[in-house]
Amino acid sequence: MATSVKNPAPQDEASRNLKAIREMVAACMQCGTCTASCPNYPSMDLAPRRLWRLAVMGLTEDIFASRTFLLCSNCYACTLRCPRGLPLTEAMAALKRMAAARETKWGGRKTQFYRTFLDNVRRWGRVQETDMMMRYFLDMKDPLLPLRYTPLGFRLLRKGKIGPPHSAQSGRLAGLFEKVKEMEARP
Amino acid sequence: MTATYDALVVGAGVAGIRSALDLAGTGQKVALIDHSPHLGGLLVQLDKQFPTDNCGMCKMLPLTERESSSQFCMRKGLFHSNIDILLSTRLESLEGDPGQFHAVLRKHASFVDPTRCIGCGKCAEVCPVEVKSEFNAGLEARGAAHLPVPQAIPNHYVVDLDNCVRCWRCYDACPTKAIDFKFAERESFNILVADPDPQTTADLAEWLKKQKFPIEGPVDGNSVLERAAEGKDVRLLILDMSLSDVSPERVLSRCLELNARLPVILTGTPEQAEAARLLEQGALAFVEKPLDRAKFVPWLDKLYMRIVSDEIIEIDAAAVVLAGGFSCYDPSEVADVLGYGRSPGVVTSLELERLVSSTGPKGRGLLRPDGRPARRIAWLQCVGSRDLKKKADFCSSICCMISIKEANMVRRLTAEQEGGPAETTIFSMDLRVFGKPFQSYLDEAKASGTRFIRSRIHSIIPDPADPGAVRVEYLDDAGVLQVESFDLFVLGVGARPPAGMNELARAAGIETNEWGFCKTMPFEPARTSRLGVFAAGSFSGPRDISESLVMADAAALGASRLVNIYAPLRERRPQPEPEFRDVTRERPRVFVAVCSSCPMVESRLDTDALTRRLRAMSGVTGVALVDRACTSQGWDRIIDKAREVDPNRVVIGACMPYAYVPRLHELGKALNLNPALMDVCDVATLTALGGDDGEGTDSEVFSRLRMSVAKLLGADPRPTAQARPASPVALVAGGGLAGLTAALAVADHGYEVHLVEEREELGGLAMNIRRTLDGEDPVKHVELLIDQAGKHPNIRIHTDSRVALHLGRAGRFFSVVNTPDGPVPVEHGAAVLATGGVESKLYEWGFRVHKNVMTQQELEQRLADGTVDTAGLNAVAMIQCWRSRDEERNYCSRVCCQQAVKNVLELKRRRPELPVFVFYRDIMTYGFMEHFYTEARRTGAQFIRFSPDNPPAMEHRDGKTIVSAFDPVLGRNVEVHADLLALASGIEPADHSEIAEMFGVEMDEHGFLKEAEYKWRPVASTKYGVFVCGLAKGPANMEESIAQAQAAAQRAVRMLHEKHLASGAVVAEVRHSLCSLCGKCIEVCPYEARRLSPTMDKIQVDELLCQGCGSCAAVCPNSATILRGYSDRQVLSVIDAALEETV
Repeated sequence: MATSVKNPAPQDEASRNLKAIREMVAACMQCGTCTASCPNYPSMDLAPRRLWRLAVMGLTEDIFASRTFLLCSNCYACTLRCPRGLPLTEAMAALKRMAAARETKWGGRKTQFYRTFLDNVRRWGRVQETDMMMRYFLDMKDPLLPLRYTPLGFRLLRKGKIGPPHSAQSGRLAGLFEKVKEMEARP
Repeated sequence: MTATYDALVVGAGVAGIRSALDLAGTGQKVALIDHSPHLGGLLVQLDKQFPTDNCGMCKMLPLTERESSSQFCMRKGLFHSNIDILLSTRLESLEGDPGQFHAVLRKHASFVDPTRCIGCGKCAEVCPVEVKSEFNAGLEARGAAHLPVPQAIPNHYVVDLDNCVRCWRCYDACPTKAIDFKFAERESFNILVADPDPQTTADLAEWLKKQKFPIEGPVDGNSVLERAAEGKDVRLLILDMSLSDVSPERVLSRCLELNARLPVILTGTPEQAEAARLLEQGALAFVEKPLDRAKFVPWLDKLYMRIVSDEIIEIDAAAVVLAGGFSCYDPSEVADVLGYGRSPGVVTSLELERLVSSTGPKGRGLLRPDGRPARRIAWLQCVGSRDLKKKADFCSSICCMISIKEANMVRRLTAEQEGGPAETTIFSMDLRVFGKPFQSYLDEAKASGTRFIRSRIHSIIPDPADPGAVRVEYLDDAGVLQVESFDLFVLGVGARPPAGMNELARAAGIETNEWGFCKTMPFEPARTSRLGVFAAGSFSGPRDISESLVMADAAALGASRLVNIYAPLRERRPQPEPEFRDVTRERPRVFVAVCSSCPMVESRLDTDALTRRLRAMSGVTGVALVDRACTSQGWDRIIDKAREVDPNRVVIGACMPYAYVPRLHELGKALNLNPALMDVCDVATLTALGGDDGEGTDSEVFSRLRMSVAKLLGADPRPTAQARPASPVALVAGGGLAGLTAALAVADHGYEVHLVEEREELGGLAMNIRRTLDGEDPVKHVELLIDQAGKHPNIRIHTDSRVALHLGRAGRFFSVVNTPDGPVPVEHGAAVLATGGVESKLYEWGFRVHKNVMTQQELEQRLADGTVDTAGLNAVAMIQCWRSRDEERNYCSRVCCQQAVKNVLELKRRRPELPVFVFYRDIMTYGFMEHFYTEARRTGAQFIRFSPDNPPAMEHRDGKTIVSAFDPVLGRNVEVHADLLALASGIEPADHSEIAEMFGVEMDEHGFLKEAEYKWRPVASTKYGVFVCGLAKGPANMEESIAQAQAAAQRAVRMLHEKHLASGAVVAEVRHSLCSLCGKCIEVCPYEARRLSPTMDKIQVDELLCQGCGSCAAVCPNSATILRGYSDRQVLSVIDAALEETV
């Protein structure tokens, strides 16, 4: 990548929204411990170190063009090892939330998995794999997607990992979701 | 009894030794203590130091008055007539005020009588204990009876009571009965038990029968008080918390009132919470009931040994210097990720030092854990440094250079191996090579093949493919994951406050800073929070040897200023100059005294035959066998017997020759004979080592004594050269911060000072600095100094003046200062050059062309005076290392990164949202300045690293400067449109060529004034008697300049103090009739003591500088150079004496 970044400074609206994350990681000295610690790093398109650098520089679009933060599995290895003691996992979560908020405006597909997953949990009180898979494919509106997952589906079926949904726990977590909704609505 | 000293120095590492030597050199009596059983601190474990890659510790010994410190290798020990060394000693408390401190010291017994121990090692052989050896960094085991360091002289074994299992095998094994476990005193160690439960006493009496302690009890509280009041001999009180008639608190306080040192042990159930309070009130320990025999008895026995053998020493001192040093971070805390302690291939940097040392652990060497040679070795920096989570928001300053040095050592050690030197790799974030010669040291290391990788390795794991090795993963700059395997992985562990810092701080009454190091005062880097207590070395923050010594000198200066103020109170009398009779015209009369009381000598030596043989030698007029020569009674007997004979040469056969050196001065006074005509010869070790049957010992001892006699018979009896008087005046060139500080420091010692400044105003470069990084006001400080200097009765200030002429030698210089009122002649004993440096100005890249380009210092000033308004700025760019650390100026200017961080913080303070970009190579915020770097990052300023082969490009357009550079983390180019560009142009030396030539000092390749030795003589110039400090010597910040100025002043005071500068007894002389003026001796002289006379017809020797090494005599083709007091004839006759019997 040799593209030049012009005056990497937070000027626009989106960058200002990034302020909280910038402050979280401002003291970063780019040592790279977070990246090397990350178990999901091989699947990421941007190294976490570079992600934080983009955040510090306020390059919002580059951040949200990547899927690095969506692949964070909250293992806290980076937070634990960061010599500056920065709340990196929290920052990752904040990015996920921001991405979700940005994408609903145009029906974003990137965070769809998270939404479908939580919707499934809310509905059934636990994950019902078959139902979740169906809804995810529908939500993604991509006819080729189910085909790509077919081999995996067969393997799971053979091992008895997926079956028809049952409603024993249905709605058990509704209270939890209500509470979260109420908390999120607070100023 | 209270001993009185001028100063107490706590900590006998290099800094402590240096402070002690400084103070001793100015005639002050010093007590030097250390908690460990050896001198030298951490340095005894390090063989070689950067950047010279050798030791050189001896270079800090005084060059003059060599006889007062019997000079030899400093790794082995230190002897100075003004320094009393107390090892295994801790400071318990420090009361009183500056000038009248009263210190209580506790000296832990070693249980080995040093006067008897002959170092045979039999005790260590039989000791069944195995604990980690401190000397070999835990890589080897040692017994409880052990030798703390192998190289010390005198070297005695010690018993480490904490690990001792009380088997007494060493006691039985010791051939000289040197080990004393206080068996005899047990029967008088009365233990009083105050416990309502009679069973306790009965139990104790039963359990301690074997220990033979007299037990008395049970008694009630009232009778304890009665006994205490009567002054009954009770050595230990066991006090139960359930005592009912009198409260245990009352018993304790009353007993301690009557005898403050009475050891009281509390017993009771764990619920009895008031025990904690009583412990604070002075009880020794609390033991839970019911007592556990298996634990309690050995514990009590050890306690007994401590109580009866520990020594409490009380001393009075006018000033205190703390040189507690630092400790290394223990990476066991992060064993889970860095594998230390789990993978044997992971070692600390200190352990590696031991592995490559010739005195390292046996059979280890530079090997992989599986025994194969280690071929791939890597270092990881910042382990325990620059890590907020480890409470280390500071840089340890020394580890980068240590790792580079270790890589060099490893490469040299393995150079002969198959396949060339081992692969060396250093993983680091910033490489902090901020010292003057460090950048070229780094460049050399790079050129020699060491790889430097910018990465902070997060975890080290055993290599699955190669079980002996370890594997690491890291990201390279391109963001690609790399996997590498190494045979040895070295953790560059950071510095931490010394072990026992809290206790020491409490005992000395000083405050610590937030990282646990000693807190010091702004602009007074050696002053602690307590007046009269000074911090030397790395006690107040991690420092390398060179800076530690500067701080040690500064601390010594502070102490000696105080001593000077209080000197009249103490009625110190200057030592009279010893004068000895001239024995040149006398026939040699040798007196031989042999100590006969050592058990080995007694049993193995036929003393009658020895006496007979000695008497038969020509020149020997008297032989005496003396009982216990090491005691003062024995010494008196020697003096008495010598007086009878009236000898003019004296040989003493005893043990430990070094210990006798101060005594010889005494004897010299008594006999009116120069100690140079006396010799001590070690006969004790000889007899001990002479095999089990002692065969041949007689002739060995006789031959050794005969050699000593021969040496003295051949000695030149002429009195040593007349001492030359020194002028008690100092000349300080340069009236900046360093010059002013040095002038005031020297003047406060009562010497006259001439302060010469070229410009019309004093103050120098410091007047341009508005604020230090810590937020202090330097201008105020400098103005205060100017004011003080102006009013000081001993300082004469010459502004608008220059030194026009400088002649002479140390102790007696003659200079002429050209002032506006005409030339002023100055006769002075020492000179301090503080001629300063300048912020370099580079007229490229738009500086002075575009209004928005300025130096960092200008930015600071313009921010302060308001000519730069942050409100009107959209972005600020800064470029660091703008010409520093490249081929042309191959050194780090040291202050620019601090300056940049300071400016960033100021800009961000005024406008937090203002974008600030700093382009840098390595941020050199060493020591506690790292904290401000973290702050600067936290404010949101962006630091963009560039490499010297791809520097930022610049373009000026519409009043803006566009800086573009490649950001390695981002992997793309960054373009900054800045309204203001600050360049860190660095520090350059002022033009020193004229002054260097005039004073005869050398300049280094950068144009700074050169130190005599960067590491060990950091403020001495290459000319004896001329000292350098401040920016004239190299880049330094204000605190460092002040410390250097104080150090230079200390050295100058030391020189001026010597009313007469006397040379050593062994100095070189030239026989001019034989000399062909070839000049070879001038080249080889390591002390620059030789030169061709101005008239070009003679080789001259400066007797003060000559250290009698003999290089010149060896190289001289005509034997024109001889060593006075070390003639060929004398040496040959000694050899003859040694071989007489075998031929």
